[in-house]
Amino acid sequence: MINVKNLKKSFGDNEVLKDISLDVSPQEVVVVIGPSGSGKSTFIRCLNMLETINGGHIVIDGKDLTNKKTNINEIRTDVGMVFQHFNLFPHKTILENVTLAPINVRGMKKAEAEEKARILLAKVGLAEKAAAYPESLSGGQKQRVAIARALAMEPKVMLFDEPTSALDPEMVGEVLEVMKQLAKDGMTMIVVTHEMGFAREVGDRVIFMDNGYIVEQNEPKALFDAPQHERTKAFLSKVL
Amino acid sequence: MDFRFDIVTDYMPFFLRGMGITIGVSLAGVLIGLVLGLLIALGKMSSSRWVQLPFNIYINIFRGTPMLVQLLIIHFGVVPLFMSPSNPLVSLVIGLSLNSAAYIAEIFRAGIQSIDKGQMEAARSLGMTRTQAMKLVILPQAVKRVIPPLGNEFIVLLKESSLGSVLAAPELMYWGRAAAGQYIRVWEPYITVALIYLVLTLSLTYLMNYVERRLSTSDQR
Repeated sequence: MINVKNLKKSFGDNEVLKDISLDVSPQEVVVVIGPSGSGKSTFIRCLNMLETINGGHIVIDGKDLTNKKTNINEIRTDVGMVFQHFNLFPHKTILENVTLAPINVRGMKKAEAEEKARILLAKVGLAEKAAAYPESLSGGQKQRVAIARALAMEPKVMLFDEPTSALDPEMVGEVLEVMKQLAKDGMTMIVVTHEMGFAREVGDRVIFMDNGYIVEQNEPKALFDAPQHERTKAFLSKVL
Repeated sequence: MDFRFDIVTDYMPFFLRGMGITIGVSLAGVLIGLVLGLLIALGKMSSSRWVQLPFNIYINIFRGTPMLVQLLIIHFGVVPLFMSPSNPLVSLVIGLSLNSAAYIAEIFRAGIQSIDKGQMEAARSLGMTRTQAMKLVILPQAVKRVIPPLGNEFIVLLKESSLGSVLAAPELMYWGRAAAGQYIRVWEPYITVALIYLVLTLSLTYLMNYVERRLSTSDQR
């Protein structure tokens, strides 16, 4: 589903990603962990070209993002993204947040888009908030709307960039619950997170990144219980 | 000091007509300035330096030189190239539009750039083109933030339209000077004109405050 080969990314002189290669199969849930500054957020942002890359190839569902002829907007409709700070559109209602892209990008009829949006909002437990504005929602509710908004485009892959890092602790659970359900429904997901419990329980594979490299990857149980590399051990000893 | 109210009453029809023209040219100036200003702002925010350059030059010239100089050049230099004899009202509207466009462009740019970067990213991540994201997500939010500075710009423009009197455009100040010349009096015409300007700008201030309140209650982040 996703093939990343020799991906490189620099900000000026600072090389953030040094030769990242990764293959993700359909329906796989890959959790990316690592210390801050390791490049994990940059990596996930490269996957839908929110960052321009300096080298390597990214192929999503058979389409090469690095090919100049590829229509990047079209690929983005297949790749849902959930941000740390939600980035809901504050001037739109919750329902409009969810229907905006299906109507304007997919060309869906308003009534059809709204019907679908209501189903998605019900799925994330926020059906009754359809007419509200984002400002009236809690952080956890905002993030669940953001997930529904991304799902409304019927993406083949969902990317989560530290989706619970900006939340109050008591709100983390409700967002992870939605993500868990999504994984159970068979969505292909890449999740950057500090929630080790989620990584262990939901992840099919855990990737440890440090200093722009993938240092180690394995099934969650193996990686958490028997890390092979010193840096992985050092990191896990601090967070577990 | 004897204040001759008869001068005020004699000239009132002219003052009122002048006031209408002052309102008209200022409104035309700010409306054309809005359209030009938005285009200039978008041009200035281009990622290419070469595209930015002419817009930067435009803004610097029109903000960096006195409006009176601009009006004289436009009226006696530029407009005669296209129409003869040149019409002072046309020159005044052109001058006000071009000048306000430079200021409005900077207001728009500041408003657009004040919107969180994540808004553009979220819109693009949903597959919107840059233009769609601008139109559907960024501009609607920016418009609210630029209403107060735009209101100020409108008030400034209304006052600066008095420079039209130098071109003999029959706006409010022109009639003030005419009355002053006819009666060889200072206080009556100029105080009256000043009061009318004051009524106009205070009404505008009130109107802008009302619009701001309406917008802030409808919805916010």
